[in-house]
Amino acid sequence: MPDLKVLLKDTPEKRILLLGNEAIARGVLEAGIAVVTTYPGTPASEIGDSISEIAPEAGLYMEYSVNEMVAVEVAAGAANCGVRALTAMKHVGLNVAADLLMTLAYTGVRGGYVIVTADDPECYSSQNEQDNRFYALFSNLPCLEPSDPQEAKEMTISAIEMSEKLELPVLLRTTTRVSHTRGPVTYGNLKKPNLHGEFIRDLKRLNMVPAFSRPKHTVLLRQAAKAKEISETSVYNRVVRKGKEIGIISSSSAYNYAVEAADLLNLDAGILKLGMTHPLPEKMIVDFLRSHDKVVIVEELEPYLEMQIKAIAKDYVPNAQVFGKMSTEYFPREGELSTRLVMVGLAKITAKELPIDFRGIDEKYAEITKDLPSRPPILCAGCPHRASFYVIRKVGGDKALYPTDIGCYALGMSPPLNVGDIMICMGASVGTAQGISKATGRDTIAIIGDSTFFHAAIPGLINAVYNNSKLVVAVLDNQATAMTGHQPHPGTGITGMQGPAEKVLVEKVAEGCGVKYVRVVNPFETREATAMLKEAVRQSGPSVVVFRSPCTLMDIKEKRRRGVKTIQAKITDKCNDCMACIKLLACPAIVVEEGKVKIDEVFCSGCGLCISVCPYKAIEGSCAE
Amino acid sequence: MKEFNIVLAGVGGQGTLLASEALGMAAVKDALNVRVSEIHGMAQRGGAVVTTVRIGDNVLAPTVLEGQADVLLGFEPFETVRNLKYASGKTLVIMNTEKIPPTELAAKNVKYPGLDQIVQKVHLFTEKVVLIDAAQLAKKAGSSLTQNVVLLGALAGTGMLPVKKQSLIEAVRELVPTKHVEINLKAFELGYESVKEGHKKA
Repeated sequence: MPDLKVLLKDTPEKRILLLGNEAIARGVLEAGIAVVTTYPGTPASEIGDSISEIAPEAGLYMEYSVNEMVAVEVAAGAANCGVRALTAMKHVGLNVAADLLMTLAYTGVRGGYVIVTADDPECYSSQNEQDNRFYALFSNLPCLEPSDPQEAKEMTISAIEMSEKLELPVLLRTTTRVSHTRGPVTYGNLKKPNLHGEFIRDLKRLNMVPAFSRPKHTVLLRQAAKAKEISETSVYNRVVRKGKEIGIISSSSAYNYAVEAADLLNLDAGILKLGMTHPLPEKMIVDFLRSHDKVVIVEELEPYLEMQIKAIAKDYVPNAQVFGKMSTEYFPREGELSTRLVMVGLAKITAKELPIDFRGIDEKYAEITKDLPSRPPILCAGCPHRASFYVIRKVGGDKALYPTDIGCYALGMSPPLNVGDIMICMGASVGTAQGISKATGRDTIAIIGDSTFFHAAIPGLINAVYNNSKLVVAVLDNQATAMTGHQPHPGTGITGMQGPAEKVLVEKVAEGCGVKYVRVVNPFETREATAMLKEAVRQSGPSVVVFRSPCTLMDIKEKRRRGVKTIQAKITDKCNDCMACIKLLACPAIVVEEGKVKIDEVFCSGCGLCISVCPYKAIEGSCAE
Repeated sequence: MKEFNIVLAGVGGQGTLLASEALGMAAVKDALNVRVSEIHGMAQRGGAVVTTVRIGDNVLAPTVLEGQADVLLGFEPFETVRNLKYASGKTLVIMNTEKIPPTELAAKNVKYPGLDQIVQKVHLFTEKVVLIDAAQLAKKAGSSLTQNVVLLGALAGTGMLPVKKQSLIEAVRELVPTKHVEINLKAFELGYESVKEGHKKA
């Protein structure tokens, strides 16, 4: 990774390669945003991470909040004191913050406030592919959608300005292919952040009791009408190309595919690019519909634009022919789009021949890959979760049920570990476990990570104590929000400003919630951990076992820094290739070559778990510290 | 400039992200338009990883269309095969011969196929294949962790890239930790020379 200090450079006009998320971070500095809050989540994580790296030097305040709801609360509080703020999150994070969002639209803000929601079409690293543009429609808040890193930066600044003008939060919606695309970004001027706000008591504006909410709803609708006027003349909504054959309306990453697909098909296409997708520029759309016989809407996921454009057409251009994914599915409603999928749809609509023999490529490709072994994401060699799962499986076996949660440990559901039966959203393991335990009477062990525990599991745990539910909550505490890039959290003792903090310990929280049986174990001490977990399962009410060991990737890095040499595991002559280690652990560092078990010296981290599971004591090396 | 498309395919932890970022940085240094696509998230290590780099004035989409790669840079044989859909007759496949067996193979007790079988599959898409023992060259450079930079050097060695060799070297210098710069630059040169030599022979 390059030095993120590059984001701080006061070099207007300089062109630099930035990730979409880094470009948003640069936009924060050029917009003079003074408060940035986030909960890490792919594909949004690098926004907060970049800011965390440079916040002290940039003179702004940054925090990793405990969850997205709190992140929005903190930022909205600051913005209501006139301070410019931004909150970044993945799409599902906005579900967590939705309660606040819907009424924050009523109170509004004084300082500019931008909420970045990064959607994940294709579920590259998410549990669903919801289309968050509907939150803009739902909340009546303006929404901007960049299609590349340069626009991501520009729109961050425009969103802040628009927010201040309308006194409303503004949504900035990206997708994986915007957030995780690198492209050249030309810098603008830096703006000094102003962290000094002032709170002005104004009950009618800020206390949403019914008598004050009703008039504020009217105000919101009035501001939304103003936003629509802005949309009509916004530089982000424009006809980028004139053409006679067909009209294309597109936005976000889909726009990139649409332009390239039209070119590859040699279409004489008029293209309307929408960068402000809520409220839509109605007049501009009417003009575009009138000047093209056929109009194609190219958009990813839901027919968000299509629904609204068809409604506009019905009122103003009833004979317009609009194509998309609603009545006939020219483009898929699920998964991410691609230049290919857009070409196929456009070719169908325009009766053009495809210039590339995709079917031929598909057939040949299917033939050569039919025996190709898959390479799914797996727990790293040395991952403490593997040890925890080994212990949990040993205690619970096939009889117990294992509701699990969002994090690296979701990978425990795969064989041979087979720990993980239901996984829905952040924190849901602890709640669903209670219903499952009641409905089945079976031993139920809920699996949850440390960061996820703080994020969303505490009300669920209190519920278990209050209603005396029989379940074990196994907190797999690896001392980081690991999967999204090892961000700190309340249990780590470090803040987003890189300063020290009070460590919030899972076991203290559990005790404070009233859990009677709370134990902390080292998962690599398999015998002791097994005994503790067995005892936990025997409890008549809720119990908590914290499996604590740092993420191995952080551990290796730390050891390298300190110059500590890792002692790797070694197979001795006693090995009779029984394959127990492979069958029980599926560690990527244990491989079979010519029928013989071998330890890969590049991958082995020396965790020692294989040493403790080998039935013939045929593996030697360092054991757990 | 007409577009130039590179697909980099490997296993998480092999440094494909760094290699694609270096290519993107080099393009910006040479005042070219570029898009680099990355996928982060699920599993820090061990999963299949593919990134794409597209250079050219009219490039907008970060991803490469099927059959349209100019180069497929395979960091591992199986992962090269997994991404052959991006290859066609015009594609040069540069493949690292170092195998990383997926855990599925060990679990099913299946052997990793021989390189000749892998190359046969590649030949169904393109005749242009260059094999590199990046692991050996990386070790020679001083660290087996520099295989990604060996492969970048090899890519530069083909002379096909629209970016200058020097710009790519500068990008590598900026991206790797200061204390590992020398080893990485050596790895780059070893990769570069190995392909240049190979091309001469052919």
